[in-house]
Formats: sequence, structure tokens, C-alpha cells
Amino acid sequence: MSLSRLLERLLGLIPVLLGVSVIVFLMISLTPGDPVEIMLGDSRATPEQIAALRHDMGLDRSAMERFLVFLWNAVHGDFGLSFFHRRPVIDVLAERLPATIELTLVSLVLALVIAIPLGVVAAVRKNSWIDRIATVGSLLGVSLPGFWFGILLILFFGVHLGWLPISGRIGYSSEVHSVTGFLLVDTLIAGRPASFLDAAAHILMPALTLALPMAAILMRVTRSSMLEVLRADYVLFAEAKGLTRARVIGRHALKNALIPTVTVAALETGSLLGGNMIVETVFGWPGIGRLVVEAIFNRNFPLVQASVLLYAVTYVLLNFVADLLYVLLNPRVRL
Amino acid sequence: MTVNRSRRRLAIVIASTAMIGSFAVPGIASELRVGFSQDGQTLDPANHRNRETETILRNMCDGLLTRDASMKVVPEIAESYRQVDPQTWEFKIRDGVRFHSGTPLTATDVKFTFDRLTKESALGGQTSPRKSLLGPLAGVDVVDARTVRFRLSAPWAILPAMLPFQELVSKDFVEKNGDAALATKEDCAGPFKLVEWRRGDAVIMERDPNYYGGATDIPPVGPAKVDRVIFKIIPENASRVAALLAGEVDIVNELPASAIKQVEASDRAKVMSVNGTRTFFLSINGAKKPFDDIRVRKALNHAVDRKLIIDKILAGRATPLNGVMSPDAFGFAADLPEYAYDPALAKKLLADAGHPNGLELTIDTTAAFKPTAEAIAAIMARSGIKANVQIWEGAVLSPMWAAADKRKDRDLYLASWGNGALDPADIMVPTLKTGGRGNSAGYSNAEVDKLLDAAETEVDQAERADMYRKAQKQVNADAPWVFLWLPQDLYGVSKRLKGWQPSADSRINLHDASVD
Repeated sequence: MSLSRLLERLLGLIPVLLGVSVIVFLMISLTPGDPVEIMLGDSRATPEQIAALRHDMGLDRSAMERFLVFLWNAVHGDFGLSFFHRRPVIDVLAERLPATIELTLVSLVLALVIAIPLGVVAAVRKNSWIDRIATVGSLLGVSLPGFWFGILLILFFGVHLGWLPISGRIGYSSEVHSVTGFLLVDTLIAGRPASFLDAAAHILMPALTLALPMAAILMRVTRSSMLEVLRADYVLFAEAKGLTRARVIGRHALKNALIPTVTVAALETGSLLGGNMIVETVFGWPGIGRLVVEAIFNRNFPLVQASVLLYAVTYVLLNFVADLLYVLLNPRVRL
Repeated sequence: MTVNRSRRRLAIVIASTAMIGSFAVPGIASELRVGFSQDGQTLDPANHRNRETETILRNMCDGLLTRDASMKVVPEIAESYRQVDPQTWEFKIRDGVRFHSGTPLTATDVKFTFDRLTKESALGGQTSPRKSLLGPLAGVDVVDARTVRFRLSAPWAILPAMLPFQELVSKDFVEKNGDAALATKEDCAGPFKLVEWRRGDAVIMERDPNYYGGATDIPPVGPAKVDRVIFKIIPENASRVAALLAGEVDIVNELPASAIKQVEASDRAKVMSVNGTRTFFLSINGAKKPFDDIRVRKALNHAVDRKLIIDKILAGRATPLNGVMSPDAFGFAADLPEYAYDPALAKKLLADAGHPNGLELTIDTTAAFKPTAEAIAAIMARSGIKANVQIWEGAVLSPMWAAADKRKDRDLYLASWGNGALDPADIMVPTLKTGGRGNSAGYSNAEVDKLLDAAETEVDQAERADMYRKAQKQVNADAPWVFLWLPQDLYGVSKRLKGWQPSADSRINLHDASVD
């Protein structure tokens, strides 16, 4: 892939981000609800005191002025103060982002490990019992609400068996020196295998809750694309050459069949990186999903704006990564 | 036997530590965990308006005054206080109090704390959102190292009731580290000091061995009992209850009424409750016909069976009210007449008001109170009132009902108002005085306004209580609301927890708590 193509892709981000900023800003401006009223809650407050808070939040300016100030500051890397945390939005998001990314990556790996072998076997042994089980399983995986499944896991593994911790990212015995922000990595860097296992025990249930519906979708995609590829001429040719079945499936068919899987996995990963409010709430997982949903309910405008921009960047970059993977999987694809 | 048991326990500790790292922590004698519904927003006591943030902070940061279990205001870092004249209060500060950093706490720190709270742009350019909690406080003067005087721009009898909401911070710390540093660090003078705040996950604190001991009126005085305290953030109700039942936490707040049976059935935990401070009511839009007719408003009051709803929906955990004040509050009028549930009387009142065929109306509320609103609607049907329930987002609903022009087409609003100060000044003035911030009913009675204004500056407490009682009586007679109830705050508590009880101001003070 050429450097100029890469640059072009990155430059393409600018109009996307600008467009997203305008849309988000408009939506926020049109949404009823006043963060100052929410912040003051049940209290006596004089009009002057309310005005002082509105001034602090910049709400005494016109929408146009607010938008221009936001753009100007954002270009300089300043996304303003979170109304309720009263700290820079960037700091608030950065604290919570690693938890979401870590959970997403672990869920993605779990989902792929479950989905790809199952999808391949279901396709190769079409209409066998294993295919039927996989198909019914994937239907369940897609239909079960994550909230319910998470609570079920908690009640069984957390309360009934007492095997797994119910909430949080790691136990509280000691401070974990943050290097990457990913506890599974940081504990290993610190040379503390026991803490690593602790972090792994904490991430298992939330990751599984996110991974199962994703695995269900990926399994179906892999299965159907595998079925299609298995009917292709070059697969028949490979078989005719006298290659073993395992080699035909593993080398010739699977590589091509995975292209749609990669696309779907990238999209799913994108939505997971936005943070999953429900799973984060159920498992007390300190990611950005919960943070952003709370920000919307509280009309915490700066935090909403910055996080939506973050989502936009994430999606664009993930699509880019998926494109790169196509090239690796199929040399005929050019960027 | 004892040896055996402790050996077995030791084995379990070692095994579990090896297996999952850090659940039971060797070297730490006692640890108490609170499963808490929300994370703190900041650690700066001056820069938030959030009850949960205050609950967490209050374990690290003491104030001049606090409240005992019966909600009586008592000195904490103050040694004593007195009213010098109607607009001046004097506070004597205890000797030998130190911040967690070791810096002595003096009158200068008290002045600094309250300057941050009341002066414009005092928080590194921002104005404290808590300023409005300090009413007419004009300034604090240092008399000597251990004495300060609070200057008011008008007499304000509830200053002592409002001071437990403010915690003292170190001037030295803020000047060295800046206001922004207080958002994530603390240098206070409370029983616990901050170890680590894992944002969104947990606030970890440890006992300050040099703690001055806390309020002398609230024994035992001395350092905290447990070595460590963790506020573990678990927003989901079901998960919080599960954590309690699994023994992961020792206290959970906001126990849903639906989980009472489950907790009571467990051999590990029990339910504890206390009267809350939040008054629930149905605000009636008095400016709209036919609700401007007192007979209609009285009919609505007689059409709601409060006891049934309390029993069936709130698991019996609420006190029915005939007015606005909590029975625990200053100036509570105990003798208000009750609007007893009486569908026949409600029908008659409606017929008298010209509605023999009943009424049709809409109750506005938020999703959290949908079951309650629907129950009210169903019960009203028996009095010939067809009530529809409309669910709104809180951020939209309360501003809509706060503005007369926006609520002009609305009928009823299932609302509530908190009164952490347990004083009528903090709830009657905003919700029932003409033009008050929370006066969603648009209630306006010159007599009530006059009483509320006079009580505001009255220095004689008996006189003041009397004025508020008269005002409550008038409000009861005018029926601007359908009076409902005061729910209890419910907690799930581990049976190994000792020395802790829930507090009506919804603080979770862990100074005296210990675990077996």
C-alpha cells in the first residue's frame, strides 16, 4: 500500500470529524434539558447563583459562539471541562478508555476463538448435528439480552459457586502501576502473576457476556461464507489435485472465507469500543460506556461532544484496519 | 478447635490469595467494603453538588459541624459555636487537629475553605456550585488561630443546619498544588485518608492513625475501627445485591424494595432502613382548570390510597405524609388533618365542583416512578378519575414543570424534593413559596409567603418552628399537592458488620464501623 493512499485516508478523517461535530452540536443544542438545573438538583439557588454557573459552563453564550469556541479549542486539543467532574474532558475519558479497550479486545479474541472453528465445522459438516447445535446456539446468542445473561453469570459463578468476582477490574490489595492501562498487561510487566490471574478472573464474565452475541454473529457469517467458498472452482481444483481435506479447508478455503468475518468483526469491535453501557453497569466495569450515557442524561455537553468525536475516529480507523486485513488475506485486493 | 478454625481460615486466605490474587489481603487486619451506586464526581469538597460524592468525601473530610444518629447538629472540628448576634456566628476550633499531610488545621484554613465556597471564581476561575447552600454568608473573619466569625448579610437561623454539608480543606495544600489538584487528591482531616481513587471503579481509603477522634458528642472518639475502607462502585441494583450476598461487600446502598426478601432470606446479610429525607408528592397544576378549584384538589387527595401503595409497591417502607415535612425535621407539624382515602367523598367533591362524571387527567413522571404512578392512576379510577401516565426524561421533566408557561397544559406531576438539612427553610421555601425554584404546583399564598419570610430571619428557634407549623397547616388546607409519603432509605448490610447504622441524611459514616 502506498504512503500517499494512507495519507489520503487520514486526510479523509477531517471532513468526517467536522461533519460529526456539527451534527452532534446541533443535536445537543436542540435537546431540551439544562445541565445547571440538573446540577443544582433540589436546592434553593438565587438567579445570580444560577447565572454564575451558566457562565462557568459557557452556556450564557449563543449556540453559534459556543460552537466556534468548541471548534477552535478542539483543534488545539482542548475539549473543555466536564460540567460535573469539573476536570478536562480529555482526562476523564482517558482514565476510562483503557478499561473499555481491554474488555473489547478480550471479548473480540473470545468471540473469534468460539466463532471461527464453529463456523468452519458447521459449514464443512453442513446439516450434521454439530451444525444444528451451532445454528441454534447462535440464534440464542443473538437473541438473549446481554443484561439478563450477565446477571445469570453473576448469580451462578459469583453468588452460587463463588468462583468469580462480581464487579470491578481487579482486587484492591495493592495499587497497580499503570504502564499501558491494560491490567492484563501491566500486572505481567510488574511481574505479578497472581494479580494477572485476579485481573483475568475479573474480566472473564463481562468479556463472555459481550463475546457471546458477537460470536453468534461471526459464526453465522463464517459459516455462510465458508459454504459459498467450498463450492468455488478453485476449491474443487485443489481437491482434484489430491490435497488433503484439511489442507484444502485450512489454506485455500478459510483464507477467502474470512473476509466477510473480518468486516463484521471490525464493525462489532467499533461498537464495543464505544463502551457497552449495559455490561459496564452490570459488572461495575469502569469503562466509557457508562460515563457517556450518564453524560447524556446529565446534559454534560463537553463530554458528549468529545466522546462522539472519539467514536467517529475509532470507526474510521477500524475500517481502515479491516481494509488492511483484506490485503493480507487476499493479495488480489488492493487498497 | 479455635486453632483448627484459624488454621483453616489461614489456609483459605493463602489459597484464595494464590488463586485470585488479592481477595483476602494478608497484612491488612480489617477491611470494610461498601457496594455503592455511583462514583464520586470529584474529591474537591467545594466543586460538586452530588450527594454520593459527599457521602464518599465525608469519610475522608470532616467539617466544622456534623450530625449525630438522631440528626442533631453537633460540633466536629469546631469545639463549640455560638450566635454572637443575629448576623454573626462564632466558632471555636479544636486544638491539635491535623490534616492528613500533618499540617495543623487553623482558623486560616476555615476561612480559606469558606472563601473558596462563597467567592466568585474562587476555584481556579470557577465558582463553587455549593455557594447557594450557604445562603447569606458574606464572609469569614479570623479572630485568632482557633477562632473564626461567620458574617451574614441577613439573619439566617439555619446556618448550623447547613454547615454539616461543607468539609474543611487545607489552605497549604491548595496553595502548593493548585485547585485542580483537589479534584483527584485530598488533604483533609477525616478518619480515613485516600489511598487510591480508581475512577469509575473504587475509592480506596485507609485509617489515619493520627486522626483527632471526631465529634466528642458521638462516641466512641478515636481513630477509625477498620484499617481500610473501599467504596466499590456497582451501579446496577441486582449486581450490588449479588455482591452483598456473595460476601464481596459489607454494605450496599439504595437496596431496591424488590430485593428485601432475597436479602432477608440470606444467612449472610440483613436489611437496615432509616427514614429518608425526600418528600414525595403529586404536584397539581393549580393555574389550570379545573385544578384551580380547591374541591378538585381535595378530591384528588381523597382519591389516593397511600397506605395501599406503600404496602404493595414500597414494601411498607415509607411514612405517609399529610404535608411537606419529614417527621424527623425541625418544625414538623404532627397534627395536620389527614385526607383519608375515600372514593365516595372524592366523587362527591368532584360532583360539587361540577364534574359529576369524573375527570380525565395526565400524571407526568420519570421511568423510575412508572410503577408508582400507574398504581396511583389505577386507584384514582375508583373515584371516577381517569388518569393517564406519561413518562419523561428527568432532564426534560423538571425544567418543564419549573416554568409556568411550559407547564400550563400539564395536570399532575409525581415529584419529590430532598431535604438533607431537615429544615423547612430548605424545602418549603423552594417548593411552596411564590416563584420558588421547585414550586411546580405554582402555589402562591400570601400568608404562607409571609410566614416563610419571617421564619427565615427569626432568631428564636421556638418562634421559628411555630411559624413553619402554621405554614404547614395552611398548605395542608390549600392542598396544592396530593400529599404522599417519605420513603425509607434501604441498605443491605452484612451480618459481620458492627457499629454502623444508616443515617437519615444518607451519609455512610464508617468511623465507628467494624467487621468481625
